[in-house]
Amino acid sequence: MRHLFVVIDCSRSMEDQDLKPNRLTSTLKLMEAFIDEYFDQNPISQVGIITTKNKRAEKLTDLTGNPKKHIAALKKAVDTVCLGEPSLYNSLSLAIQTLKHMPGHTSREILIILSSLTTCDPSNIYEIIKTLKSLKIRVSVIGLSAEVRVCTVLTRETGGLYHVILDESHFKELLMLHIKPPPASSSSECSLIRMGFPQHTVASLTDQDAKPSFSMSHLDSSSGPGLSLGGYFCPQCHAKYTELPVECKVCGLTLVSAPHLARSFHHLFPLQPFVESSVEELQGNRFCQACQGELKDKNIFTCPSCHSVFCVECDLFVHDSLHCCPCCIHSQNTPFGVS
Amino acid sequence: MKLNIEGLLVYFPYDYIYPEQYSYMLELKRTLDAKGHGVLEMPSGTGKTISLLSLIVAYQRAFPLEASKLIYCSRTVPEIEKVVEELRKLMEFYSKETGENNNFLALALSSRKNLCIHPEVSSLRFGKEVDGKCHSLTASYIRAQRHSNPNLAVCRFYEEFDAVGRQVPLPAGIYNLDDLKDFGRRKGWCPYYLARYSILHANIVVYSYHYLLDPKIADLVSKELAKKSVVVFDEAHNIDNVCIDSMSVNITRRMLDRCHNNVDTLQNTIHKIKETDAAKLKEEYRRLVEGLKEANVARETDIYLANPVLPDEILQEAVPGTIRTAEHFVGFLRRFLEYLKSRLRVQHVVQESAAQFLKDIFEKVCIDRKPLRFCSERLQSLLRTLEIADIADFSAVTLISNFATLVSTYSQGFTIIIEPFEDRTPTIANPVLHFSCMDPSIAIKPVFQRFQSVIITSGTLSPLDIYPRILDFRPVTIASFTMTLARTCLCPLIVGRGNDQVALSSKFETREDFAVIRNYGNLLLEMSAIVPDGIVAFFTSYVYMENIVASWYEQGILENIQRNKLIFIETQDAAETSMALEKYQEACENGRGAILLSVARGKVSEGIDFVHHFGRAVIMFGMPYVYTQSRILKARLEYLRDQFQIRENDFLTFDAMRHAAQCVGRVIRGKTDYGLMIFADKRYARADKRGKLPRWIQEHISDSSLNLTVDEAIQLSKHFLRQMAQPFRREDQLGLSLLTLKQLESEEMLQKITQIAHQT
Repeated sequence: MRHLFVVIDCSRSMEDQDLKPNRLTSTLKLMEAFIDEYFDQNPISQVGIITTKNKRAEKLTDLTGNPKKHIAALKKAVDTVCLGEPSLYNSLSLAIQTLKHMPGHTSREILIILSSLTTCDPSNIYEIIKTLKSLKIRVSVIGLSAEVRVCTVLTRETGGLYHVILDESHFKELLMLHIKPPPASSSSECSLIRMGFPQHTVASLTDQDAKPSFSMSHLDSSSGPGLSLGGYFCPQCHAKYTELPVECKVCGLTLVSAPHLARSFHHLFPLQPFVESSVEELQGNRFCQACQGELKDKNIFTCPSCHSVFCVECDLFVHDSLHCCPCCIHSQNTPFGVS
Repeated sequence: MKLNIEGLLVYFPYDYIYPEQYSYMLELKRTLDAKGHGVLEMPSGTGKTISLLSLIVAYQRAFPLEASKLIYCSRTVPEIEKVVEELRKLMEFYSKETGENNNFLALALSSRKNLCIHPEVSSLRFGKEVDGKCHSLTASYIRAQRHSNPNLAVCRFYEEFDAVGRQVPLPAGIYNLDDLKDFGRRKGWCPYYLARYSILHANIVVYSYHYLLDPKIADLVSKELAKKSVVVFDEAHNIDNVCIDSMSVNITRRMLDRCHNNVDTLQNTIHKIKETDAAKLKEEYRRLVEGLKEANVARETDIYLANPVLPDEILQEAVPGTIRTAEHFVGFLRRFLEYLKSRLRVQHVVQESAAQFLKDIFEKVCIDRKPLRFCSERLQSLLRTLEIADIADFSAVTLISNFATLVSTYSQGFTIIIEPFEDRTPTIANPVLHFSCMDPSIAIKPVFQRFQSVIITSGTLSPLDIYPRILDFRPVTIASFTMTLARTCLCPLIVGRGNDQVALSSKFETREDFAVIRNYGNLLLEMSAIVPDGIVAFFTSYVYMENIVASWYEQGILENIQRNKLIFIETQDAAETSMALEKYQEACENGRGAILLSVARGKVSEGIDFVHHFGRAVIMFGMPYVYTQSRILKARLEYLRDQFQIRENDFLTFDAMRHAAQCVGRVIRGKTDYGLMIFADKRYARADKRGKLPRWIQEHISDSSLNLTVDEAIQLSKHFLRQMAQPFRREDQLGLSLLTLKQLESEEMLQKITQIAHQT
């Protein structure tokens, strides 16, 4: 489980047009993709967004697990006026206020997208770096213009990454680096968490007793679908939700579905890389085990555990999306499916 | 690692070596083999010091009779300390590898101010005060007086050292200034005198230039150093100026007044002594008749380093009768002083040669040339005889007597300029007599003559061939080394035009031009927005900087810059400047970013390094030509043209370019460092200027970056800074600019290394 605050610099320098159409628009667009991908890969994690401009820091969205909210906020933020200097200190302390209450077994992270080369701080930033370190908050920075010393120190001290972009595609690449969760340190606490696995139940229209009801998550927002028949019901208090994962508003139970958990699992047990070899060495059928197509390329990939052979496309697909070898799963029938 | 440099086993205390270090050692070895002098240029941050030390130490071990001592001259105390630390590392490596405890003695020497451990004396603030106070406690006659009067103050450290310190040599090891002090405290010996005594048998001595080049100090300290020594001048790009300064004398009216007081004191003391102890003066008289035979014998047998203030001829003669008795000498000094005073009462500028001056002095006050020559020696003798404790008080009269000796000894290479007022304040009368040395070879000549190998080295010595010419020596090796880089970490750009195509230049005609100043401001403003952390900007002079900054303020440029970075300014006040520097570094450290506006030839441009984030860019606004209207400079240029066939323009350009190179060289302090070097003057693009930059900078100036506009420069810089911000690990350097022993020994690499040294 990750708790990530993304700090977006909205200072004057974001109006620079070296990223098209300008740095801010480009960043926000990439952030939308990032949010999507982030929740896809880390379904039970949470994100919050902070913007900093004019020596202040403001929370754009709170720490939640709902991608829609963030994306809506990002879309709105395109029109913000960029002015003044950013403040690293203020944004960090704003993030700390929330992150320090997060349970110890989850990761606490801050990702800063910094365009400006200067920061305007109300007091010594090295104090706050010490605090971050003691709270085990990991801070990473993506610089849009050049290497700034204070960021180097900040990331080195807190164990984060520091990168500077070359161009837009490199920016995207760097942003996607942060989708993978950071390696968990052995010192972090372990604890058991209660989770609920609600089934999606849809009352059939023929059922006379079925009554349309509100989803708990839509109660506070005026927009969105109102009444619906089916949904996920919290196993503890029977509150209804239309989307997972979510934290139950009534009893505070984390509601997930099994695939979600499985997907966040693969970071812990990554699929081993397949062994690359030339196609000539292969005896027998020259067919890819996954797509069943003929192996036309020079190189083939072999799974180290089941020795199945794959083509390049399938190798990429298996590693990037499936995160498990289809042949291994097929051969073992034990319910321990994801390895 | 252990290296084989043309048959010499060299221990190198690191696991990796830069190719240019290997090449440097190769050239150095050849110089030592030939027992000649060398001029070597290698960029800063490539480990010059450790290469020098490892090779010379190896050489000393292999041929203990050929090179008995290494004298390493550096400029400042921190640099001296750095050298000693490197040496310590090397020696630890030696004892680890060979397993034996080698008998090596290396020590640093500095002034009394840095070495004194006497509780009262060391608390004084100025070097001169410490020297004077120390002298008043330790001079031989003071100590003699103490026998009769035990109440006199005493320095127990010196007494202790004098009693036992000389018999027991300093144990082998590496001593920096603090180590010496610790040792002194433990033993109760005076560290300063201990160090001065120990350099005679030390294997390596690290001290400041002045101990070798300034005749007054060299005579005291370095006179007896062995002939078979290797002398290294590090950071020697300014060595000619050091030589000239050490031989030049400036006389002001205030100094003459102090001199008068000195002479009065002398006279009173003489009277007193005459009443009490006339025999002493008689004894001195007898000694003077004997002449300076002793010194002469010593020089002939080649025991001592020659002193340029003490010319050969006078050693063979006795002190002339006119100044032999103390009263006569004092009278002589008075006449001389009166003459100088009358000369300072001028309304217009006078420039004359030494010969003219001597003729004039003979006509006006009947002072002959001969007694003048003995003036300095005679005064020393008198001060000794009179047992005057506080020598510091007599600095004025000592200076005058040195002047007298110099002016009567050297008919060439010196000029006398009397200015009734300073150029900048023509209304305030402040007459100064400049007795200015124009020939740096006079001061350094004894060094070249005495020691078998003298190595002159620095990061910026280009063009290399000019140093042997102005210092008048014949080197066996002249080489310039480049920096092998895994990534081009320096980016020199020549900005010749503003965005509106106005040519940028600091030359005299366009100096006041509004458009140029605005464009310079624009350049700084744009740079401040894209360069992270620290920027250092150099101007050609304080006056020029003040004008430009005032103009920027009016145009509102400063205000805009301050949105991006804080601005700090170097001033002529040392305390103010060091305060500004401190705050500048703090701002860089905190991520606020800062700009330091400073002056080429100032304190910042010479001594301060801007490592990593403290200097990501240097901007040179204009070319730092020296103030060409100065009469001293004019005289020097004339002399260079007549004596060494160096044209005025060549020398001026050389001087400007070496200062420019010094300034921009401040940002690159190693291979992991990176920085922009922006030359904002269109004149840099010309081949004759560009060609005088060090090779390691020149290499990276491409033809496309010769005459950029501000916008173009900004684009290039942006790209460069992003490239440099990408992760850079040691593995990237390995094999290219950083070698293991195995890589070094490969045939291909040895081939490449031979190309690094650039012989001229």
